[in-house]
Amino acid sequence: MRTITLRPLRAFEVSVEAETISPSRFASLTLGQIRTQEVFMGNWKMKLADLFKVEGDEPLATPEETTIVLEGDFSKVKRIGEGMGAGTLEVRGNVGMRAGSGMKGGLMMIRGNADDWLGREMSGGKIVVEENAGNYIGSGYRGEKYGMRGGEIEIGGSAGAYLGEHMCAGTIRVKGDTGDFPGAVNQGGTIFIGGDTYLPGAEMTKGSIMVRGKATMLPSYQKAEVVTLEGIQYQKYVGDLVENGKGELYVATNSA
Amino acid sequence: MIIRGGIVYDPANGIFGEEIDLCIDRGRIVEDAKGEEIDAHDLLVMAGGVDAHSHIAGAKVNAGRIMRPDDARLGMEQATAVCRPSTGYTVPNCYAIGYRYAHLGYTTAFEAATPILESRHTHEELEEIPIIDKGALTLFGSNWEVMQCVRENDLKKLAAYVAWGLRASKGYGVKIVNPGGGEAWGFGANVKGIYDPVPNFDVTPAEIMKSLAQVNESLRLPHSIHVHFNNLGKPGNYTTAIESLDLFKDIKPSRMRQVVHVAHMQFSAYGGTSWKDFKSEAPAIADYFNKNHFCTMDIGQILFGSATTMTADAPLEYGNAHLLHTKWSNHDIELEESSGVVPLVYLRKNPVNAIQWAIGMELALLTKDPWNVILTTDHPNGSPFVNYPEVVSLLMSKVKRQEELSNIHELASKRTTLTGIEREMDWCDIAIMTRAAPAKILGLEDKGHLGVGADADVAVYDLRPEEVDPSTQHDLVKKALAVAKYTIKGGVLASRDGEIMAAPVGRTFWVDASVAKEDEERMMEDLKEKFDRYYSIKLSNYMVQDAYVPNPVVIKAGALPVEEVAP
Ligand SMILES: [Zn+2]
Repeated sequence: MRTITLRPLRAFEVSVEAETISPSRFASLTLGQIRTQEVFMGNWKMKLADLFKVEGDEPLATPEETTIVLEGDFSKVKRIGEGMGAGTLEVRGNVGMRAGSGMKGGLMMIRGNADDWLGREMSGGKIVVEENAGNYIGSGYRGEKYGMRGGEIEIGGSAGAYLGEHMCAGTIRVKGDTGDFPGAVNQGGTIFIGGDTYLPGAEMTKGSIMVRGKATMLPSYQKAEVVTLEGIQYQKYVGDLVENGKGELYVATNSA
Repeated sequence: MIIRGGIVYDPANGIFGEEIDLCIDRGRIVEDAKGEEIDAHDLLVMAGGVDAHSHIAGAKVNAGRIMRPDDARLGMEQATAVCRPSTGYTVPNCYAIGYRYAHLGYTTAFEAATPILESRHTHEELEEIPIIDKGALTLFGSNWEVMQCVRENDLKKLAAYVAWGLRASKGYGVKIVNPGGGEAWGFGANVKGIYDPVPNFDVTPAEIMKSLAQVNESLRLPHSIHVHFNNLGKPGNYTTAIESLDLFKDIKPSRMRQVVHVAHMQFSAYGGTSWKDFKSEAPAIADYFNKNHFCTMDIGQILFGSATTMTADAPLEYGNAHLLHTKWSNHDIELEESSGVVPLVYLRKNPVNAIQWAIGMELALLTKDPWNVILTTDHPNGSPFVNYPEVVSLLMSKVKRQEELSNIHELASKRTTLTGIEREMDWCDIAIMTRAAPAKILGLEDKGHLGVGADADVAVYDLRPEEVDPSTQHDLVKKALAVAKYTIKGGVLASRDGEIMAAPVGRTFWVDASVAKEDEERMMEDLKEKFDRYYSIKLSNYMVQDAYVPNPVVIKAGALPVEEVAP
């Protein structure tokens, strides 16, 4: 197992775009090569070592055998783990926008908060956020019709609005509340919300959403039977009828 | 500059694949020159390409960009020492449009539709498109003043308005889109045929089209009227196309050119009564163009993949958006037009799309004279212009067409005649369809050819026409045309092997037509009332100021006594 650690050399005022920080990319690079990887800070082209202290094991390993540890505040560093296919990326702090977008495999552990667009269009692998996450988690790129296509996202705290927008497959679990419109325009996949939410499943055509807390419902959902899942009673709804949808929405009955 | 040893195809000057040295001085082709030499030995050389119908600038193009961030991400390219950054595929940013035309060896492109009211925006974007020369056609087909003049049967006043509208918009020619339909759409309706009166105006699309064609000739404009027919995109619309064409049979051209150019004919060559029995009527249309020479067309080829439809035919876009259940932008342009934008994907296995693809091919191949049928994809309605090399390689190779036919929905073979068409175009046909004819149709005398005095717009392709057989080596044709070896624009080497070497500023053509003062005064009285009562802006803020067209080429035209017009 090869471990590489990055620490910011300073607090960033301007956002950094660092899609190169990924086990899939670092695996075949020496530490020297990693330090010269190109990143953008605003519109300045820079080297990774200009912004971060890069340390770790020298011998190369496969992506599966590669672990990257990010120590410190990465909340202004965007696109971390973009397209990663294997290995482990651990963030000991907060992470910036679009972490794990297009992720295909491997594990991303975020010990703090995640910003917007986490796991955008991901198709495999697993992302765990110990605290809260922003808006558009597991959604599609702006204007695209297809969001998350596979894999798992787990959020220990709460999430923002438009969770899993345009989701096609995969699973998102949020322990706490979510913002408005989780599962909007869903075409598949599963969303579990431990807390409260507002207007879930707008324009959903397929897939399922379970809400353990309170949910303010859209009027375009049709009530179906009451079901018991894992010992808890849920009211099942079908919709969104606006789209002739066959999506399934379960809201715990004791919360209403 | 001298371009040495190329195999030159310059059909306008009767040159069909001869080894010629081209001399360039101060932006023009000349007899003799000194200086930098470009080695083009044995390579295909043609005049810079001319696109006579493309949607490259203005409010609807920008609406496409705004509603399609998903498209922007498909064409991201970083800035270089010469280039600004590029984005987009079907709706590229302004810079990318210039660079990508230059990569194709194209040096001129005309925006096919701008309402007068939106023209300032159109010119702001045209100015930002590097390298190529350009112009914009001005929309007149659903305009209140036009319809009022037609109703009053006052063609002199109409001529005064058209001349004024071209000046107000710094426009190049008269574009007509679904005449009358843009007005009807203001009431949620459409005109159903060329004799269906426009609500509240009591004029028919036929009267609008014919009057504008007459006025176009009385003003001796360099380009003819440029028409997008009624019922475009609907099964069975080929009868509307032929009915419309018949209107112009007796109109005398005022210049050596057609009296009507039909935009993206493919979308108006449909048979059947619904999408279920949808079929091609391209042979009937091609037959009409083979028998009549007062009309020209561009094919408006569709290609499979992503496109963004955008047109002043707003009811059509409403139909598209509902049929495809997709994003839709709808726009009302006060007293002038309406418009819409809908992104879509053409699919090989969709029977309608497959038939549409074959219809475009049929039109190009069955129309005998390439001077009457030019290559477009109605960018980005049928496909983005970067895919022109695909269209050319299909037209040159029956093998390639058959391969594609076997990959797409079988109805393309059953409901069109494409399978039986043997014709394979040669380089002469292609040079006509992509440069010589579009320049002639637009009335651009210094474009589309390489005679002495022509603009020094030259494309050199990395293909040896004496060695490559386009019929079997269609992949080499496509590859070579996609990335010109050298593109020279106005004597400047702009692009080389896919790299932009220089980004000279292009010029914008517009037409300044003179009319009798009394006609203009009568027309201005009408306009003043319209601005006072209806327009959201003041007449004094309406005209596009000169500052918005910093590199103009002004073509003078205007009503002259009949004797001087006669050929
Ligand atoms: Zn068009």
